[in-house]
Amino acid sequence: MPLLSRLASLHRNLFARPRVERELDDEVRAYLNELAGEKRAAGIGAAEAMRAARIELGGVEQVKEEVRQVRTGQMLHEFFDDLRYGSRMLRKNATFTAVAVLALALGIGVNTAMFSVAYGILFRPLPYANAGRVAVVFMRYFPRDFAFGTMCMRDYLMWKEDNRAFESPSLFRSLRMDIAGKEGVPEQVQGASLTAGLISTLGARPLIGRIFREGEDKPGSSSVAVIGESLWRRRFAASSAVLGQTILVNGAPSAVIGVMPAAFQFPRRDTEVWSNLVLNPPTRYGPWFYRGVARLKPGLTLAQAQAETNHIGLRMMRENPSYKRLELPVLSLRDALLGPTLKPAILVLAGAVGLVLLIAVVNVANLMLARATVREREMALRLSLGAGRGRLVRQLLTESVLLAVLGGAAGLALAWGSIELVRAWNPGNLPLIDSVRLDGRALAFTLLVSMLTGVLFGLAPALESARADLNSTLKEGGRAGAGRTRGRARAVLVVSEISVSLILLVGAGLLLRSFANLQRVTGGFSTPPRHILTMLISPGNRKYSDQAAGLAFYDEAIRRARQTPGVESAAVTDALPPDRQGDADTFALEGQTLPPGVINPIISDVTVSPDLFHTMGIPLIRGRGFSEHDRQGSEPVALVSEGFVRRFLPDREALGTRIKQSGPGYGDNWMRIVGVVGNVKYLGLAVDTDPAYYMPFAQSYGPRMFLVVRAPGDAAPLAERLRRDIQAIDPGITLAQIGTMEQALALSVSQPRFDTMLLGLFAAIALLLAAVGIYGLIAYWVAQRTQEIGVRMALGAARADVVRMVIGQGAQLAAIGIAIGLAGAFALTRLLRTMLFGIGVTDAATFVAAAFGLMLIVLLATFLPALRATRVSPVVALRYE
Amino acid sequence: MPNTNLLQGTLDLLILKALALTELHGLGISRRIAQITKGTFQVKPGSLFPALHRMEEAGWLSASWGDSENNRRAKFYRLTAAGRRQLQAETRQWETIALAMASALEAG
Repeated sequence: MPLLSRLASLHRNLFARPRVERELDDEVRAYLNELAGEKRAAGIGAAEAMRAARIELGGVEQVKEEVRQVRTGQMLHEFFDDLRYGSRMLRKNATFTAVAVLALALGIGVNTAMFSVAYGILFRPLPYANAGRVAVVFMRYFPRDFAFGTMCMRDYLMWKEDNRAFESPSLFRSLRMDIAGKEGVPEQVQGASLTAGLISTLGARPLIGRIFREGEDKPGSSSVAVIGESLWRRRFAASSAVLGQTILVNGAPSAVIGVMPAAFQFPRRDTEVWSNLVLNPPTRYGPWFYRGVARLKPGLTLAQAQAETNHIGLRMMRENPSYKRLELPVLSLRDALLGPTLKPAILVLAGAVGLVLLIAVVNVANLMLARATVREREMALRLSLGAGRGRLVRQLLTESVLLAVLGGAAGLALAWGSIELVRAWNPGNLPLIDSVRLDGRALAFTLLVSMLTGVLFGLAPALESARADLNSTLKEGGRAGAGRTRGRARAVLVVSEISVSLILLVGAGLLLRSFANLQRVTGGFSTPPRHILTMLISPGNRKYSDQAAGLAFYDEAIRRARQTPGVESAAVTDALPPDRQGDADTFALEGQTLPPGVINPIISDVTVSPDLFHTMGIPLIRGRGFSEHDRQGSEPVALVSEGFVRRFLPDREALGTRIKQSGPGYGDNWMRIVGVVGNVKYLGLAVDTDPAYYMPFAQSYGPRMFLVVRAPGDAAPLAERLRRDIQAIDPGITLAQIGTMEQALALSVSQPRFDTMLLGLFAAIALLLAAVGIYGLIAYWVAQRTQEIGVRMALGAARADVVRMVIGQGAQLAAIGIAIGLAGAFALTRLLRTMLFGIGVTDAATFVAAAFGLMLIVLLATFLPALRATRVSPVVALRYE
Repeated sequence: MPNTNLLQGTLDLLILKALALTELHGLGISRRIAQITKGTFQVKPGSLFPALHRMEEAGWLSASWGDSENNRRAKFYRLTAAGRRQLQAETRQWETIALAMASALEAG
């Protein structure tokens, strides 16, 4: 009952306000009349009676106000009042509002966008039921030394046998797959080979059909394939008739058993076919193609699982002495999918947008303070008319939160646009980019940040305003007042803005220079990257696993490529700079003695046709290159890289020395080193060049090769014609990854480019905001001193003196801000360490350049007001008072 | 007028008591309170009206427009059932306090 009555009152007070007010007025007036009537009855004259009644009542308006204060929902009503008043004020000061909203939109927008990216990539639950409990097991050992390296089948069997930490240890590898069948032309797709339990270990379910059954990885199992939704739509028109249909996967007939939804992106984002990995008992160590996946046993943490698994590593080393310093890193599924570089970069960028928001907040606080000066009289007037100080603070806060929410709304639009942009562009194939979206969580984040922002930049100016000293303010006619403290507060704000901008600027500068370093790194070839076109050829037909047929096919492919108009030279290779490593293996050198149990490092061994060096422009430093005569039957030959000679043959004549692949199963195939070529990067531009040795294609055949052609100009237009010419040799072959070397280089540095562009953008926004901030402060300073400047000029100060005085003001603030900023940058840039290439985190040149650049911007921002100061006419200025 | 500040809550009780017998308008309540407290409490409009509105919103009073004894339009307040319960409760509470205060002040 009381609650109902309250709710009814609330409704009436909020929505029937005019009627409630009218009734209140009637009631108080009725009381007044009744009182006056009483007095008249006591014999007082009508006019006198009314006067006495009024005095006794104590003011109709005051009584009404007292009643209003106790009404249910009064706070809410006042809030709406404040909102109305606030929006009127914002509309009235359109320029102020626009500048503030723009600053906030930038500050909040980048934060919302970055929040969505960080949440999507680092936190949004992966679309597999068990994702939170799944770990990926890698193998790292010397001499191979890949942090997240692969294991071989024997290692897996040992892990499985000794494993106590995991349920259902599974195995997978990524590989390119040729898909062929009656449904269309053959194509090459990204595939993966999985043990039978892997998909259910992840907890994923098929769209239609089934996933692998237990036992489908036992020796003798028939080949089955699960395909991805995109392939299913593309090749099978999304028909359920695909189930049971036989397709050729790398030439082997496989029955399609199921289709996985598009959200299933394991192990790579572009994987479209999963075949059953058959666990035939391995006869030797290698090949090291595989990684493990398993679900943590209930109650076990990742760290405990790692400790358990370490024992297995020790056993692996005991059983195989050529494994040195072997570790089995256990990573959560998410960390495994992200790789080592993305997470630190995202955290750094998230920190950077936090700083951008800080600058935006400081900027708006600055504007508010400036405006507080203008509104001093308004506030004093309202205080003197009986408004409570708390009420005034609340009203000003409502105004600033309203402003922040407006900024947030604009920021949201900005964030939405930039997220769409990032998703469409997907720099560097960011994994998990599909879970980046603007969702309810991001909306809540934006709202929260906006409100906090509003309070943050509004509170100090609001408190300051409400403290206004009535007497002096009203007397001074709206000038100065608390001007001095406020001016100091604004100077502090601008200084902090400058210092934070400098931190961002230094960070962006370091990334920019690091990126420039990366761009300067050559892959080790001199042909302009734009002139090189490459494509990956896979002769899907099994007949090409025969060496003679295969060699004939590639001879023909090279011949046809050479005949294609616009092609200057053509060759094939199984590895390409900057990061498409082919095979890697250890080796033995004739006459080299190694301590027992020690083997040479595993390095790139590249199979090439004779013209590759000429086509790519890889220099021949000594001896000869390969020729058409290095064929099956002639003496096996090899080339080694300069780095190889420096590291392994520093004091021996390289030419003539014999080398062999010493992986198991290679027998006694000694090859004579006939030449030394320049170093080529096969592991990425940022990775130190690894030594390599080369074998002639004709003596070391493999079916999957890159075709490389060189054109006298841009090679991109050759792609279509070349594709048709090669395809015409055999419709069964598939071509993939067609593109210029320029594109490959760009792709290989796309994550650093992404990091650099974003941090650069954030620094630019920060700089802009800081410049606006200091401009505003100096302009205000000039306006305040119009009279002083006028007097100075009247007394003979030259314009240059005035300019110097004003700019000096700005320079002083900038110097303090820059000093603080340099210290801050010095402390913070170490966070960038893993993202930098060829440059230290405290690179002096970058620090100095950023400081000077910022100083220049600040001086420019103060120059305009300084110029305005010189136009002050002494006469006007003196009359200004 | 005696210098007697109304205790918080006392005004409510006086208003409820004033309305216990019959409905009254604002000035009537004021006069009735003065009468039953033998002139000790003169309730001013600035206190009376907020209290009336607060109590009405709480559901203790209901109001309607009518004609005063002098044929002027006035807003009349009367107790609701909840108001009567409130009067009883507050009376009991007051009696407890008064008793306690009295015995406290009598104590040596």
